Amino acid sequence: MSRIGVFVCHCGHNIAGTVDVSKVVEEIQKNGDVAFSIDYKYMCSDPGQALIRESIEKYQLDGVVVAACSPAMHETTFRRTVASAGLNGFRCESANIREQCSWVHQSEPEKATAKAIAISSSIVEKVKTNEELESLTLPLTKRLIVIGGGIAGMQSALDVADAGYPVVLVEKENVLGGNMNRLSGTYLNFAAAPDLLQKKIDQVLHHPHIQVMTGAEVTEIEGYVGNFKVKVGQKDDAGSCETFTFETGALVVATGWRQFDINRLPQYAGGSAPDVIDALTFESMLAPGQKIRRPSDGKTPYEVVFVQCAGSREKDAELGVPYCSKACCMVVAKQAMLFQERVPGGQAYVFYTDIRSAGKGYDEYVQRAMTDHHVLYLRGKVSKIFQDKAKLIVWGEDSLSNQEVEVPADLVVLASPMAPQLDSTELAQRLHISTDANGFYNEAHPKLRPVETLTAGIYLAGTGQGPKDIPETVAQASGAAAKVLQLFSHDEMTASPLVATVIPEFCSACGLCVEICPYGARSIHPLWNIATVNAALCQSCGACAAGCPNKASQVHNWRPEQIMGMIDTL
Amino acid sequence: MNNRALVIGAGIAGIQVSLDIANSGYEVVLVEREPSIGGHMAQLSETFPTLDCSQCIMTPRTVEVGHHENIRLYTYSEVEAITRDGDGEFIARIRRKAAYIDWDLCTGCGACSEKCPFKVESVFERGIGPRKVVYTLSPQAVPNKPVIDAENCRYLQSKWDIEQGRAPAVDKQGNPAKPKCGACAKFCPTGAIIWDQEDRIFEERVGSVVVATGYDLFSLANLPEYGGGKIPDVIDGLAFERLLAASGPTAGKVLRPSDGKVPKEIVFIQCSGSRDPERGVPYCSKICCMYTAKQALLYKHRVHDGQAHVFYMDVRSGGKGYEEFLNRAQAEEGIHYVRGRVSRLFRDDDQIVVKGADTLTGKPVEIRADMVVLAAAILPKAGSRLVADMLGIPMDEAAGTYGGFYIPSNDEFDPVVSPVPGIFLAGAGLGPKDIPETVAQASGAAAKVLSLFQRQKVQA
Repeated sequence: MSRIGVFVCHCGHNIAGTVDVSKVVEEIQKNGDVAFSIDYKYMCSDPGQALIRESIEKYQLDGVVVAACSPAMHETTFRRTVASAGLNGFRCESANIREQCSWVHQSEPEKATAKAIAISSSIVEKVKTNEELESLTLPLTKRLIVIGGGIAGMQSALDVADAGYPVVLVEKENVLGGNMNRLSGTYLNFAAAPDLLQKKIDQVLHHPHIQVMTGAEVTEIEGYVGNFKVKVGQKDDAGSCETFTFETGALVVATGWRQFDINRLPQYAGGSAPDVIDALTFESMLAPGQKIRRPSDGKTPYEVVFVQCAGSREKDAELGVPYCSKACCMVVAKQAMLFQERVPGGQAYVFYTDIRSAGKGYDEYVQRAMTDHHVLYLRGKVSKIFQDKAKLIVWGEDSLSNQEVEVPADLVVLASPMAPQLDSTELAQRLHISTDANGFYNEAHPKLRPVETLTAGIYLAGTGQGPKDIPETVAQASGAAAKVLQLFSHDEMTASPLVATVIPEFCSACGLCVEICPYGARSIHPLWNIATVNAALCQSCGACAAGCPNKASQVHNWRPEQIMGMIDTL
Repeated sequence: MNNRALVIGAGIAGIQVSLDIANSGYEVVLVEREPSIGGHMAQLSETFPTLDCSQCIMTPRTVEVGHHENIRLYTYSEVEAITRDGDGEFIARIRRKAAYIDWDLCTGCGACSEKCPFKVESVFERGIGPRKVVYTLSPQAVPNKPVIDAENCRYLQSKWDIEQGRAPAVDKQGNPAKPKCGACAKFCPTGAIIWDQEDRIFEERVGSVVVATGYDLFSLANLPEYGGGKIPDVIDGLAFERLLAASGPTAGKVLRPSDGKVPKEIVFIQCSGSRDPERGVPYCSKICCMYTAKQALLYKHRVHDGQAHVFYMDVRSGGKGYEEFLNRAQAEEGIHYVRGRVSRLFRDDDQIVVKGADTLTGKPVEIRADMVVLAAAILPKAGSRLVADMLGIPMDEAAGTYGGFYIPSNDEFDPVVSPVPGIFLAGAGLGPKDIPETVAQASGAAAKVLSLFQRQKVQA
């Protein structure tokens, strides 16, 4: 007979609003293996955890089930709590009665209560035969590879290298600086920006701990946190490619953004009218020593129309992307202001949907564009742009006066979306990280883990994760560096022992597990002729256990008899 | 060299900085003014755009801070002075306010709070709910140790009255007068109530300082055309968060403060005090568009037959998944967005008349609402100026008479580094920002500290 404690969490109203938690306690106590059960408002809170610790001692518990939220949320929390009371952490499991029960059955409280009891009982059955396990220790290579040498990648590299760790910075182009090289200046430090960028580039190039590889790409990656093996292909001047292999403990992915191709915006005459250009092309006209001239005939444009959200915030996938590109409002304000300054007698028009100048000093900046620089802001969508002799005719609406507007323009600048790099999804697959529907890399948690990925040891910096401006990019890039520094602060790493294992007597070395394993964690031992598991690579997905015809491959604490036992309780 | 860090402020920014540093093996001294950590995030119901419950995602962090062997936590405390010695080491003088409770003896059982007969308006609940005079901020408080609000404590006040001659020293029977009440002390099972506890001063020597003092909300009293805070059913965004929160005074039910009725028409007013140099502050508060969309959506989830209206100037949903979230609020939940300013609102019978203009139709709009929620401007935390002066770091004057935000070495290229060596910045004290940006930036500040400490370690 086991002595298991079942702790039922209200999660405020999240669970207790639907599930009758006292009924769960009452029913579960009838189980002969349950020595104690109690409900509490927030099990994850300090007093909640204290309640678990005290109960383990008081009732001599040998296992703990916390019926609460998803194990992804608090399993680690509760295992730590249990361990602090002297019980092996792996004798504790979460029974998910929130995400898989109360949240999805809000309209059927009685059935939800019955389901919560069933879920909790099955986890009690599992914990009865859970093994006591200890964390694994793994070696750690204290080197960082940064993919992308824009402002984000350079910042991450500098922060980690400043701490004395070796960094390899891999940049696809032949120069560092990324898209910032193509900006005339930035909104807050307009004139100083090129120098400040150059200063950063020089710091990187001359840093004793940074090895810069330009014209290079990461071609292959294998391994796992602390122990990646990365192949970098670099083209030499003659164009032939040489491959270098690095052992590295961590990677920062800082591949940045590309301007959405305006050829895909025919509604704005993108690609068909030569004087319809994208914002980066206009930037090049604002660079020191350059003049604002329209592409078709080299004349100075006097009437310039800027179209914000040109392809952004577009619900129709044919017409663009659904997201907001975040930086364009400010870029356009800057460009329109500079145009007004540099072309006396000129007039800049800005069509916008909402002005999103939400940053320090940004709203004030846009106000200056409107009032001091007389940029004419029109709230409304542009419906059509077409060439009429030397002019571009812009049809739009002014939604404030509810009138159709027609502006004959000399030049049209489309603030087209900030898009992820074309190969972002492919690179993500190579790195075993995920991307969202738009091709931006997914962070581990949108609120609280914004610079981590779900693959340990791989971190995100900059616009590859989503559109953002320079201050946010730089701060986030330092944030990614913090995660690397944290990893490197240890001499070795600990890993979860919940991995697959092989019962040698049952293994016929058929090799099915090697074929099935999506993480490359399985191989047939050449001498012993049985299947083996690389515990560091194993993600305990259980595919091998499901596939093994002899039940030789099993995952710790998810053994077949445990799973069958859980099913029997239902 | 000193490889310990001082973090001022234990909101989500200060928590993230502290954990990043402490998990790298360095000691952190974390100072928080309130009785428990978590800052404003602890007040929130659910967070955009995923609608994760704020407490649920933050509690693992607060609990980790509370138990971390590398974090020395000073709650209910303030940094009073910071000096620097010859080696560049910072010496911080920390005042821990008297809680009148011995936290070493206290088990956090809550009996004192339960038995305390006096209730006052709770700042944490934004005035829509009471708290006891002996209190913790929330059931999930870290540390779970109560404090006694001396100003409102019957026992302490009558004790001091007797001691200082404001009340007779002897009672009618001629015996020495006794202070009144003292219920908490009677029921405390461990004798942890210490009536003569005084403020304590601690000194901590550190090698680096991170300033994460956060924000306050613009007071409704400064918005007379929106009722000046005098209409009970006109509340601010944080108060509405407390109404939505399961742990809040209404247990998550949307009930209006005046009479406890469910509001069927609700008006949200964005930019209340923001982007308004004449009546409020000139800058945009950045987070209100998204939290208003979230609040309106959560309102619809709670009150299915209710109608939510949002007055806005521009909807600023620039962030990952934000635009999509806004579309969901507008299209699927049927929230009525009106582009325009509200010129004034006033109470009429038990309703609030909201008068404004729809700038898209050019027509005046009048809505009779049961409740109004103002997305009040984000202000720098009260006392930020004192912190800046103490540390010698610069501040802007963005909020005019309401103060300013810290200025980093360079807004774009060095956003978390202050001009004073060894001092770094994180969170809303630098300017309004949402949780993901705050957390990423806080880790950024931690990177600067870690880089510095690692260099010092290698040199030593």
